[in-house]
Amino acid sequence: MNITIPPGMERLRYVLTNYGWDLVLGMAALVAGLLVARYVVRQFAKSLALAPLKPAARATIVLLVSVLLYVTVLTIAFVIIGFNSDNIFKFLMVLTLAVIAGILMFRPYLPSLPFKEGNTIKSGTLLGKVEAITFLNTRMRTFDGKTVWIPNSKIFKDYLMNYHYSPTRKISLDVRIGYHQDLLHAKQTLEAVMIEDARILTSPRPVVWVINLLPDCVALGGRCWVDNSKYWTTRCDLLEKVKLRFDVEGIAFALPQQAVHLNYPDHMKSQATELPASDEESTEVA
Amino acid sequence: MKIKELLAVVDKGWIRKPKGFRVHFEKLTSEGPIVDFVPGLDQALMDSDVVAWRSAWKLFQASQSDDAEFGNGKLVNIFVVDEDGRPVKFYATNRHEIFNPHPPKT
Repeated sequence: MNITIPPGMERLRYVLTNYGWDLVLGMAALVAGLLVARYVVRQFAKSLALAPLKPAARATIVLLVSVLLYVTVLTIAFVIIGFNSDNIFKFLMVLTLAVIAGILMFRPYLPSLPFKEGNTIKSGTLLGKVEAITFLNTRMRTFDGKTVWIPNSKIFKDYLMNYHYSPTRKISLDVRIGYHQDLLHAKQTLEAVMIEDARILTSPRPVVWVINLLPDCVALGGRCWVDNSKYWTTRCDLLEKVKLRFDVEGIAFALPQQAVHLNYPDHMKSQATELPASDEESTEVA
Repeated sequence: MKIKELLAVVDKGWIRKPKGFRVHFEKLTSEGPIVDFVPGLDQALMDSDVVAWRSAWKLFQASQSDDAEFGNGKLVNIFVVDEDGRPVKFYATNRHEIFNPHPPKT
C-alpha cells in the first residue's frame, strides 16, 4: 500500500531531520533567556527604585534595558537555530529604526492622557491622585484610601479635570451679612484676612465684591489666588479666619430669615384686643 | 502718582504680608531662659499662621503636663513670630497673644 505524503509534510520532515536539534536548542535558549531577562529586569527595577529619579525617567530606563535584553535573547536563539547573525542584526536595526520613525511621525496624532503620575484628577465621579499609568488603565487612589483602576478608554470618553494642570487656583470666599451690618467694614475685614495670609498671591490681587443684594442679606464675595498645591489648606484656614475675625469685629453673618408683616383690616382691630397697639406688627422668622 | 505706585504704597503701609511663621518659646533652665524656635532658624518657615498658632497652643498644653518640675525645663512665652522674628497677631483675636507668659501676668 502506497502512502502519499503531502508536500508540506515532506518539507516539515526535512526541516525536522536536518534542523530539529538546533530548533530544540534554540527554543530552550529562548525560554531560558526570557526567564533570566525577566528576573534581571525585575531586580534592576528594584535597585533603580532607590535612585533619586522621577517615576517617568525610571520607567523609561527600565523599558530600554528590558527591550535590549529581550532583543539579545531573541538574537541568541535565532543564531543557535542557524540563522545568520548579520541578517538578524540588520533586520532588528531596520525594525528599531522603523518603530522610532513611526513614533516620531505619529506621536502628535496619538491620543495621550492629559495628566501625569502624582496629579490630582477627577474622572467622571472619581476624585483622587494618579499613582500609575499603564497602556490599558490608570491606577488612582481616592482621598478616602480606595485604589481604583480606570480603563484609559473610559477616561478618554468621559470629562476629566486635572487639578495640577495650572499652577495657581482661585479661592472663593462667599459670606453673607445682614442689611443692618457695616458693609464697608465687612469688605475691609474680608480683604485684610486674605492679604494677611502668607500663601495668598499678590498678583492677581485679592478683591472683595458685593455680589448680590438678596431679600434677606448682602452677599459678599472674596476672591484670591493661591498655589495649586496649597489650595485646600489655605481655603480651610481662610474660612476659619473669616469667621473668627468677623466675630472679633462685631460683624454678624446673615441667617436665613424672612420678615413677616401683619396688616390688620380696620374691622378686625377692635376684635384683636390682645394685639399690640400699632396697626402693623413686624416679626422675623428664622 | 501711577496706579502701580499707589498699590505699592498701599502694600507697604496698610497690611504687611509675612513670608512665613515660627513658634517662639523660651525654656526655663537653672542658667536662665533659652530662646528657641519651631521650626528652627535654619529650617523652612511654616506658611500658615493657623498651623503656627495651633502648634504654639499644643506646645503650651504639653508644657502644662510637667508642673511637678515647674521652673526647670518649663516652656514659657510661647507665641508666633514672622520671618524677621516680629510677633504676629493671633488671627482669632487680632491681638498679640502669649501663651504661658513668664513672669505671669497679674
